Amino acid sequence: MTQAVGSTRFETDFWKDAKSRKVWDDIVPGEPRETLPYTLTREAISLFCKAVGETNPLYIDEAAAKAGPYGGLVAPPSIHILLMFSCTPADDWMRSPGTVNAGQSWSYNIPARPGDVITLQARALDKFIRRERLFVVHDNVFFNQHGDVICSGRGQTIRPM
Amino acid sequence: MAITFDQIEAGLGIEGPKFAVSRESIRLFCDASLDYNPLHLDDDYMKGDFGKTNFGGIIMHGMNNFGLITRMLTDWALPAGAIHRRLETRWLKPVKPGDTIMPSGVVKATRVTEKSRWVTIEVVVNNQRGEQVATGEAMVEFPMTASAS
Repeated sequence: MTQAVGSTRFETDFWKDAKSRKVWDDIVPGEPRETLPYTLTREAISLFCKAVGETNPLYIDEAAAKAGPYGGLVAPPSIHILLMFSCTPADDWMRSPGTVNAGQSWSYNIPARPGDVITLQARALDKFIRRERLFVVHDNVFFNQHGDVICSGRGQTIRPM
Repeated sequence: MAITFDQIEAGLGIEGPKFAVSRESIRLFCDASLDYNPLHLDDDYMKGDFGKTNFGGIIMHGMNNFGLITRMLTDWALPAGAIHRRLETRWLKPVKPGDTIMPSGVVKATRVTEKSRWVTIEVVVNNQRGEQVATGEAMVEFPMTASAS
């Protein structure tokens, strides 16, 4: 199964490329992850808003957003939840089935906007074993096409075994 | 009524939206976030054990909590001309279809820095049994130019 994401297809079966993904042992802290530029659309923002029940006109009503503080439509800050998957390839280890999110911290600079071509700089920063579980700490920064930081975040996942 | 920075004190409460979790809401979050981890899709897979944990069925994305807390914070900040600047979260319990969750916050401290004004907020998401499913901390900035007092 695939879903259209911009002009490309997104593989929704996370098992399909499972063999090509790095496991905990392969992950080198400090090594940049391969990432893909992604053009954020109004439709993607609307769908994300629907999933979390966002109704703020700044995200969905063009006329109201134009009169608002950003002079146009923006995405909610939490849009990085989508960007993390839209800006990484199918063999990225964030997609390994059974990856458990163990906590996140994000800082927000400027909002993402529809039409932005968003890039990601990402790496594992650390990895460790605690209570018999395999952890990776990741570090992610999203930029717009002007090179401005949209947001930056650090997360921990427990790797599947 | 939008709040101004000078009205904010430690202990001030913020209420977020109630959110009913269903198989459909989880599926919609998959499509909206492109996170198709089988944890959120595949009941057969979820019958297996994860170390010492058995979830018994699909669970909601932890980041759905994150999205709801964000919604609470921006709904509170934006009318005041303030900006949601930071959110840190930890997940404590899995959330399952049939659960109803609700984020809330309590102001922990305010702080004026050289160039701006900040509010630190403790956040929590509770389920319908009053159990904490996620906790965290947020920062909202009230720029000097916004709702100047």
